[in-house]
Amino acid sequence: MAPSEKDNKSELATAKPEMKKDSKKKQEVEEELSEEDQQLKDSLEAIVEKLNAPDVASYDSSLDQLKKYLRESTSSMTAIPKPLVFLQPHYTILTELYDKWTDKKLKSKFADILSILGSSNKKMDALKYRLLSSEADTAEWGHEYVRHLALEIGEEYGERLEKTEATDDLLKLALEIVPFFLEHNGEADAVDLLLEIEGIENLPDYVDKNTYSRVCLYMVSCVPLLAPPDDLAFLKTAYKIYLANNELPQALALAIRLDDEKLISNVFTATEDVSVWRQLGFILARQNSSFKHENQDIQEIISNLKLSEYFKYLVKELNLLDPKVPEDYYKSHLENSRFGESASSVDSAKQNLASNFVNAFINLGYSNDKIITEDENKSYIYKTKGSGMLSTTASIGSIYQWDSSDGLQEADKFLYSNEDEIKAGALLAMGIASNGVHDDVEASFVLLKDYVTSQSKYLRVASIIGLGISFAGSQNEAILELLIPVIADQSTSLEIVSIAALSLGHIFVGTSNGEIASTILQVFLERDLSDFSSKWVKLLSLGLGLLYIGCYDSIEEAVETISAIEHPIAQSLQVLVTVCAFAGTGNVLQIQKLLSLCLSKTEDEEKEESDEEKTEEEKSKSSVDDEDVDMVDAEKKDEDEKKDDSEETKKSEFKKDDNLQAYAVLGVAMIAMGEEIGQDMVLRHFGHLMHYGNPVIRRAVPLAMGLVSASDPQMKVYDTLSRYSHDQDIDVAANAIFSMGVVGAGTNNARLSQLLRQLASYYVKSPDCLFNVRLSQGLLHLGKGTLSLNPFNTDRQILSKVNLASLLTTSVLFLNPKDFVLSDSHYLLYYLSSAIHPRMLVTVDEDLNPVKVNVRVGQAVDTVGQAGKPKTITGWVTQETPVLLSYGERAELENDEYISFASALEGIVILKKNPDYVELES
Amino acid sequence: MGQGPSGLGGNFDDKKKDKKDKPKYEPPVQHQKFGRKKRKGPETSSKLPTVYPTTRCKLKLLKMERIKDHLLIEQEFVTNQENFTPTEQRQAEEREKIEDLRGSPLSIGSLEEIIDDDHAIVSLSTGPEYYVSILSFVDKGLLEPGCSVLLHHKSVSIVGVLQDDADPSVSVMKLDKSPTESYSDIGGLESQIQEIKEAVELPLTHPELYEEMGIKPPKGVILYGAPGTGKTLLAKAVANQTSATFLRIVGSELIQKYLGDGPRLCRQIFKTAAEHAPSIVFIDEIDAIGTKRYESTSGGEREVQRTMLELLNQLDGFDDRGDVKVIMATNKIESLDPALIRPGRIDRKILFENPDPQTKQKILNIHTSKMSLAEDVNLDVLVGSKDDLSGADIKAMCTEAGLLALRERRMHVIQDDFVKAKERVLKNKVEENLEGLYL
Repeated sequence: MAPSEKDNKSELATAKPEMKKDSKKKQEVEEELSEEDQQLKDSLEAIVEKLNAPDVASYDSSLDQLKKYLRESTSSMTAIPKPLVFLQPHYTILTELYDKWTDKKLKSKFADILSILGSSNKKMDALKYRLLSSEADTAEWGHEYVRHLALEIGEEYGERLEKTEATDDLLKLALEIVPFFLEHNGEADAVDLLLEIEGIENLPDYVDKNTYSRVCLYMVSCVPLLAPPDDLAFLKTAYKIYLANNELPQALALAIRLDDEKLISNVFTATEDVSVWRQLGFILARQNSSFKHENQDIQEIISNLKLSEYFKYLVKELNLLDPKVPEDYYKSHLENSRFGESASSVDSAKQNLASNFVNAFINLGYSNDKIITEDENKSYIYKTKGSGMLSTTASIGSIYQWDSSDGLQEADKFLYSNEDEIKAGALLAMGIASNGVHDDVEASFVLLKDYVTSQSKYLRVASIIGLGISFAGSQNEAILELLIPVIADQSTSLEIVSIAALSLGHIFVGTSNGEIASTILQVFLERDLSDFSSKWVKLLSLGLGLLYIGCYDSIEEAVETISAIEHPIAQSLQVLVTVCAFAGTGNVLQIQKLLSLCLSKTEDEEKEESDEEKTEEEKSKSSVDDEDVDMVDAEKKDEDEKKDDSEETKKSEFKKDDNLQAYAVLGVAMIAMGEEIGQDMVLRHFGHLMHYGNPVIRRAVPLAMGLVSASDPQMKVYDTLSRYSHDQDIDVAANAIFSMGVVGAGTNNARLSQLLRQLASYYVKSPDCLFNVRLSQGLLHLGKGTLSLNPFNTDRQILSKVNLASLLTTSVLFLNPKDFVLSDSHYLLYYLSSAIHPRMLVTVDEDLNPVKVNVRVGQAVDTVGQAGKPKTITGWVTQETPVLLSYGERAELENDEYISFASALEGIVILKKNPDYVELES
Repeated sequence: MGQGPSGLGGNFDDKKKDKKDKPKYEPPVQHQKFGRKKRKGPETSSKLPTVYPTTRCKLKLLKMERIKDHLLIEQEFVTNQENFTPTEQRQAEEREKIEDLRGSPLSIGSLEEIIDDDHAIVSLSTGPEYYVSILSFVDKGLLEPGCSVLLHHKSVSIVGVLQDDADPSVSVMKLDKSPTESYSDIGGLESQIQEIKEAVELPLTHPELYEEMGIKPPKGVILYGAPGTGKTLLAKAVANQTSATFLRIVGSELIQKYLGDGPRLCRQIFKTAAEHAPSIVFIDEIDAIGTKRYESTSGGEREVQRTMLELLNQLDGFDDRGDVKVIMATNKIESLDPALIRPGRIDRKILFENPDPQTKQKILNIHTSKMSLAEDVNLDVLVGSKDDLSGADIKAMCTEAGLLALRERRMHVIQDDFVKAKERVLKNKVEENLEGLYL
């Protein structure tokens, strides 16, 4: 309802004449003024009048008065304070007045006030006057004002950068504001501001012991979303802050993420406390790190020598010592077995092999089982044929995993067999048993090295794989020298060369070792081109890719060299190396590139498609008006051209390498797994890929889904996989089944096990699928549900390269399931061993003896940027250590009787008694 | 394993049979999912991830941008792929085929029972019941006993499902046209307006403010106070101001003829509100159903109480209601059930008092602003501080004055009219009071 004219007139009659120029809207506000407001307004206007008057002496007091009015105003949280509203009409007068004044001190004071006024209108003047004012107490004007100032600083900085002007004053002002933010729970604002003006390195000076943890938490969670080089700057700054505040485990975690040996040793030198060293050692051990420490004691911890001991303590406490047989988990009596008994009749050797893998998986690390270790006369091994015997014997290694001394002994018994297969199996078992566990003697190396040059193919393959598994991530130079000649030798078969390359890839994962890379590339350049259609080439290229996991800043050289290969495989290699390099970064641009590679066209269309089609495609792309997309376009154009040149010449000779798209799909998963949003969103991409994709892509999609959520059985993931497990393409179905196992690995998820039982009866006539179903059942109950495949650790902060490499290897093996695992190279599946690790929390005292304390285990909550001190876990259950932690779970100590040396209660954690602890009287 | 023996026993019979006539292998039936699984919202697989933290910061922006990037990539991929292999045409063809199968004209029946994956019993509106087949393209997820289905006109097989989700009686309550009253039409009540804004509007428009403070915004408010003090008016103003869906009901509407209808309606209101979230539900005269519970023998009473219990559950029950705020209004707060207005259900109780002289003046100004007044009218003296007048009384006074003027065929209202009108209004009030005395 508009007020009537009459009313307005009567109101206006009393109002000051200078208000006439005000807008109509203003009048409405006016109308509602209460008496107090009117009074306030009048007095404010009087001050303005005074300032306008030529009496210089009264300026100072007037300004003080004005400041007082502005300071004392309070109002509801969304409205602008009243004095500001009333002064707004005079703003221009005041600014003009400011320009006229000459007294420096007064001017500075005046600018202070003008800055406040400027913050409430749209003109962005707050910053201008703030810089003109020399009043020190920026902060006293309150939160809203400082935030506004921060906004203007950010914008101004951007503008000045364009004009290449100096930004020192901005930085100075920003650094004045930062402490205010930090004091007032605004750590996010502080970090944002510094990010905006690219001054994040200055942060460590301002944080103190009360704020650093929140600041660092915020910074670290920003990292996967920032574009390089900001992400590295953030990590380094957070590292510095942690180091300065003596949060060594956290600092170590960041150092590992930065992958910098020097930073890691800095963490060690930051303290003299042996317990802390030990704790740091445990964290490094979890990464299968190659870090060397001069302290013998610590080095033992890093070399995982204690892992088996603690794992066995865990299972003893959890009462899981009884060995299980596969049937305990198949529960075939629950299967809908109308045709039950026929199941065993099909391809029994294959099913026995499957049972053997399952047996290895469920008893993994327990050092005892009911089948193979109690089997005196090896009758069980003879239930399988050919390379099956190799795999069966090798399962001893899995059962004794991490327990290298016993494992080597046990495997040694089989070494004197007459059959090459069993001997080879024993070698492989030795490798697996000492997975990630090394002492000075390095017994597994000594035992295996002679067989690398053996005449028998089986012995050679097994010993090379064994070395790869045993020394994954260790960067052992001796093995390098041993295997390089194997790869370089022109006369060795491609199979051996590929496996050697793959093993070296595992051992030197993520080091971008130039010697290995050039040797592998040499193979590509020198070998006969017709060799490249062999299935083994996949492993060869994978070996190259693994070298570059996580080193996205050092792949250019490799990519250059690859492009010299005159074969379509060059492109696949490039893709593989790139995706490995960007693994876990969540880089959207890379995902975009990969998805554009996955555009599937039928063969005929591909030929018809000439350049005009491509230009059309580019047009449609550039219409998406996103800066990033444009950038990618430019790069892609180049690539397209390159592709055109190379393809048109080669097309007649070679078929295009279809692994390209499969790698791309896996790559999407690997890149996106680094951060949660990508992890979620990528499932949508997979849906589209499944819908539009060609068979190659469709086969890779389930594997990629498994890769993204290994050991994280989310309903939506395994529901989708279970749908794919009935796909018409039997390979897609087989892969989906295997992925269901990976997704549920080590969780004992009841729903998944029911789904798998259904699948077992559904595919009772299809030996290949049934084999995969069994494998999945084994994986699901990995170590009776005590182990995990998830490559992330330490509060989901660190991506273990070794684990990822091993998961990726398994996925690549299944890209064409009939090539490897479902034919006779199933022993390659043991590459999965180095991805397996206990999902335990064992607490030990300072002498490394296990202690029992109560911990709360619950769902982890994302507490970044939340007000107050929110709970970090929810829905917890109090349990006594040792306990198991599932994906997304976190533990915290129940009371402060003990103090933990580790920041994240995961794996093996050292506790010490809290000296200040007082038992509460009940 | 407990199931072991029984499972084996079951197998035993089967085995015998198998040996006799070895049937051809066929995969066991995949259990189709009948009945509605998801009740609302997009499918879980296509849902976007939620973004934490909820405070304003770069991290949130970055996360949002990341989602946007992914969606853009997705869009790019799909459009490019569509260019290569157009699916639209194929889909159109398939749709045509389905249309053929479905045939027309269609008859409508109701689904009585589902027999197996592709057979069901339906009854026609004319009476007969049929055992019919379900065509494969019918969405099994939507079939549930009691729903209306489309039937083929000759074979009477089920060819489609009719979705009649929303109860028409609820959709009536949704306010399509916002009322004309705005905050400026309210004289006084500043503190009440502020309170209701903080409790109802701000949580819907600025949820981050509460997040930053680390508190949960209030779920609902109750407006109470003497009759005619502007409770409904304020609710109207809220409806006028807000962009949220505004559902309004009167407490008595929840009392229905049949048992269970009242609670059902109550549920549906909140379901509709949740579907259209953010939304505000305004329940006027809540004392119609919200009175204290007591032993009662009358079935009607008990039904009313059950309706209230449903309301209790909807307000703060097991399910999170999300962005639904509730405003209730009553003038007898003391008779309400304490459970209904406990904090958690209704976090804010806003009292409406009779206006003070200044406010009365404002109300009078508002009401007279559209009237044609004579020159001699002096509004300032009309309402004194002593008169016990509510906002509604003042409005009545103005109307009365206007009527008096009309009686004398004057074109404007003079002071005298107001004086008389005031007397009349006050007299009526006094009579009311006297009535109370005699009882």
